[in-house]
Amino acid sequence: MDKFEKYIKENKGAFDVHKANKDKLWANIESGLEKQAPKRKVIRLWNRTVFKVAASILLALGVFTLANHMITNSNSHENQFISQELQDIDSHYNGLVAYQVKLINNTPKLTASQKKDFLSFMDDLDNEYDLLIEELKKNIDNERVLEAIVINYKKRIELIENLLKQINSSKITNDEDVYIL
Amino acid sequence: METNILYTHKDLVEKSKLGDRVSQYKLYELYVDAMYNVCMRMMKVKEDAEDVVQDSFIEAFNNMASFRYESTFGSWLKRIVVNKSINQLKKKKIPVVSIEKEMYHIKTDIEDEDTSILDIKKIIKSIALLPAGYQQIINLYLVEGYDHVEISEILDISTSTSKSQYHRAKKKLINLIKAS
Repeated sequence: MDKFEKYIKENKGAFDVHKANKDKLWANIESGLEKQAPKRKVIRLWNRTVFKVAASILLALGVFTLANHMITNSNSHENQFISQELQDIDSHYNGLVAYQVKLINNTPKLTASQKKDFLSFMDDLDNEYDLLIEELKKNIDNERVLEAIVINYKKRIELIENLLKQINSSKITNDEDVYIL
Repeated sequence: METNILYTHKDLVEKSKLGDRVSQYKLYELYVDAMYNVCMRMMKVKEDAEDVVQDSFIEAFNNMASFRYESTFGSWLKRIVVNKSINQLKKKKIPVVSIEKEMYHIKTDIEDEDTSILDIKKIIKSIALLPAGYQQIINLYLVEGYDHVEISEILDISTSTSKSQYHRAKKKLINLIKAS
């Protein structure tokens, strides 16, 4: 590097003569970043008392099942028993959900499209549930799967209870369209 | 020591990777003027430079995961800015490499005894008088501090073209400074 090049490199600072319009540029950058990651409207159902109670019961049930399961983990025979117990709990809640879905289907207070909207939510959760059961078959010890199943049930029951509550207080709106869990 | 330099603003970088807007703004505030100056040197037009700066920051923040401290955050960001500027210039059909072909080739040694050329104001003015392609290579090599391998990647030319273009540009620049 000759003297001339060295001189320029030493005086680089002199080339930075411009000042950016910080606020204006940032506003555009921020909106550009938001455009690429649109935020969804979220209504929290979890803060309502009914759901808290339902959640507590189901969580307790889940913890109980898991604890029971872990204690008897080593014995394959008992494992069978546990999965029998799981199946019982499972079929109980399955029945409960099915009954409530039937209630929704039979109620005259909802229009067909409202029912359809609501039931599509339930179908999504049903699909999720099927996947989870598949996962569980692969490995009965999977706590996370068990937890997810409990959460899945919780969501379904909450959804139904919420809808029934709304029907009963005859303040039906189209709000269920925007429930994002 | 070098590792320390690479990890400059590590905390802000890591938080920005997680999408923390406050950290992103802090990084932006630290680098925006430097990046804007890089852009102005390349694009010349304020509005074009602003567009490139905005797009570069958006791209940088959206691709923070690909930044793995192989260079400093500043030079990673600057490379995005430089590449975007070159793309814009190409779109506008502004030559990024001088198409001027000189048939004669005088030996590239420049008489650096002459201290009258060491006047930064004159140098800056004279760079502005160079053809667009020469300005780019002088800026990239002398001001932005890229070597010929990096310039060859940025401009998509061979390193030998980069070297010969640079020497021609420098020669022309020195003549302009002397004439001013």
